[in-house]
Amino acid sequence: MNTGQIISGAGHLALIGWALIGGVFRSDPLPFEVTEVTAISTEEYAALLARDSAPEAVASIDTPEPPAPGDLAPDLSSAADAPPEVTQPEANDSPPPDAAPDVSQMTPPDPAEVTDAPPVLDVPQEDMAAMVPEVSPRPQPRPAPRVAPEAVAPPEPDVRIDDVANPEVAPDQGAEVVEEPAEATALEEAATEIVTEAEKLEQAAPSVSMRPKARPARATEATQEAPKPAPEPTPQKPATDKAAVNDALAAALGGAQQNNDRPSGPPLTSGEKDALRVAVQQCWNVGSLSSDALRTTVVVAVSMGEDGKPNNGSIRMLSASGGGDTAAKQAFEAARRAIIRCGARGFDLPVEKYDSWRDIEMTFNPEKMRIK
Amino acid sequence: MRMLATLLTALSLWALPAVAQSNGPLRIEITEGVIEPLPYAVPDFVSDNSAGADFGRRIARVIASDLSGTGLFREIPNEAHISRITSFESPVQYADWKAINAQALITGAVSVDNAGKLVVRFRIYDVFSGQELGSGLQFVGTQEGWRRMAHKVADQVYTRITGEGGYFDSRVVFVGESGPKDKRAKRLAIMDYDGANVSYLTDSSSIVLAPRFSPTGDRVLYTSYETGFPRIYVLDVASVGRRALETQPGTMSFAPRFGPDGRTVVYSLTQNGNSDIFRMDINSGASARLTDAPSIETAPSFSPDGSQIVFESDRSGTPQLYVMSANGGEARRISFGQGRYGTPVWSPRGDLIAFTKQSKGRFHIGVMRTDGSEERLLTASFLDEGPTWAPNGRVIMFTRETQGPQGQASLYSVDITGRNLKQVQTSTGASDPSWSPLQN
Repeated sequence: MNTGQIISGAGHLALIGWALIGGVFRSDPLPFEVTEVTAISTEEYAALLARDSAPEAVASIDTPEPPAPGDLAPDLSSAADAPPEVTQPEANDSPPPDAAPDVSQMTPPDPAEVTDAPPVLDVPQEDMAAMVPEVSPRPQPRPAPRVAPEAVAPPEPDVRIDDVANPEVAPDQGAEVVEEPAEATALEEAATEIVTEAEKLEQAAPSVSMRPKARPARATEATQEAPKPAPEPTPQKPATDKAAVNDALAAALGGAQQNNDRPSGPPLTSGEKDALRVAVQQCWNVGSLSSDALRTTVVVAVSMGEDGKPNNGSIRMLSASGGGDTAAKQAFEAARRAIIRCGARGFDLPVEKYDSWRDIEMTFNPEKMRIK
Repeated sequence: MRMLATLLTALSLWALPAVAQSNGPLRIEITEGVIEPLPYAVPDFVSDNSAGADFGRRIARVIASDLSGTGLFREIPNEAHISRITSFESPVQYADWKAINAQALITGAVSVDNAGKLVVRFRIYDVFSGQELGSGLQFVGTQEGWRRMAHKVADQVYTRITGEGGYFDSRVVFVGESGPKDKRAKRLAIMDYDGANVSYLTDSSSIVLAPRFSPTGDRVLYTSYETGFPRIYVLDVASVGRRALETQPGTMSFAPRFGPDGRTVVYSLTQNGNSDIFRMDINSGASARLTDAPSIETAPSFSPDGSQIVFESDRSGTPQLYVMSANGGEARRISFGQGRYGTPVWSPRGDLIAFTKQSKGRFHIGVMRTDGSEERLLTASFLDEGPTWAPNGRVIMFTRETQGPQGQASLYSVDITGRNLKQVQTSTGASDPSWSPLQN
């Protein structure tokens, strides 16, 4: 046994002894707060509450003094008040009449702004389609005696109905250039489809079945037409292989080569074609057509003058499909009336592109009109 | 070299359509139009002699009333006319009629010939194309029949412009009603389609119901309670003579309707508390059962070709419409919407079936295709019922009754598009209309 072990053993014994004697393992309870409570019964609790909420007894009450019998009753006479003084305006002090508005700078308002046209809905992204409910309540159409592609709000009662909406033009005395006075005109009231009595009273949500889907937006039609190539004619001529290849390439790639035999301007833009179509459809009245004629598509040819007016004698039916001879005749007559009536003032076509629209073939397809 | 030729051919084929297109005319497609009444002018018909002067004005007014009453045409009043028609033969000043936007012009002349007959001539012009529509026509008739002659002219105008048959020279048989609702007197009456020339076919001693014209318009089937029980009678319009159809004792027969051959009649017969549909040869009296079900089958109506019958049955629990062969057999249900369907009537054109529908406390007149598709409700009111077709299948007339103890029944008409809903003017209450075919 060496010294180190003896010292270690003694040290450990001393430590154990201190722990036992010094009270390291004594466990006194931890100190905590004690609150004394008193259990009371329901009746006692109610009695306590009643005592707390009872109003304080009023010791003394002020009672008003009774009126003395000698007091006079208040005067209740009902004489009318004197009329307030009104200064009469001087008769000859009338304000000067308003000067006539200067309309020379006025531009006709955009007809689209004054219509009741249903809001144009943005076409949702393809990946959003699943979120769009398939059945959505249609805006309730407003009935009108006329059914047209665009809804038109009822015009002012004293405004003349015309094919185009124009503001009134009054002569302006002060203006250097005197405007030709013109009556205000407005488009005739129109709804986009026939509204029956039963539909007028129904809720917006259909109860039985959905109507056919809405027609595609006009912008879509325009874009469909836009890509149509309108290359200039390229004569097919016998040539060497190389030249033939060049010609064919040129024709296929959109007609870079011009045909010098017949001068012609650039083709009509899709917007110009659209304007022509809108102009004709305003006069294409299918309301009096038989149901057979409403199933008949007619292709009508017309030669145009440079002033944009159709040559009425040149209007002829090229073909008809979908109905019998009688139906085709009625359908053609309605189409002819549309071209003549709306062309009477001349269609708005660019004269520099006259060669593009010298001859026009119009296909009148009433399919969409059958479901109105 | 061979490769080059192939390439050349391919390119030429590709390019050819483009070349062809560039030489052609401008092509546009019109798919949207407008639906509005077509403006027309009908100046007073000129008279070739003094006797016809008054007729000229009256005939023009009836034509205008007929055409404008369709909702498809709009008259430009005489006061707005620039040109005056003084002679039937003088050329038309198209520019004057164009200026007032008259798209159709009807001119005519009236005279009384030596035999006292009224002679009416007329022409129709397409103003904007500057040409006559068809050729002129002439009608000769009695002076008393001047209204019918005006209707005939209007029918011609209607047909030439729309391409559809007219319906103005037709009549309507109906039940004239008078007195309070709880003690209402009913009698059969007949009138022109526009409410003129009313005359009565029966007295009001017994209740009469549901008159139906024969396909030729000379006879009327109806149900009468003369014996205390409903029984079917056939009445000759010209002589007002009538006879009861033979039925078995102890049965009740009602809801009759002629077949297109004018000989066959379909009707409902109630026996031992059960109603079924029967058909009968009106000449021989031979009858045959077409349905045999414990449910109520009633309101049969033939298709115009006589091959099928549409009727009402509650075999599914609520009244619905069914179609079966004209000889009976398996029936096909065609109505599937919410509500109760009744009184189906096949259109004379064969393409549609008109019906009464009760749904959500309101009554509707509606049309559907013969397979039940494309149902469309045209009207809505407290009580609409009993549709009948105009001879051209374009217009429906029906009964509308107002609410309350003072409620009155009256006749209304509506276009099959739902437009032009209007009351038919009658001097008394009126219900249960049946439209005749066009008169000869």
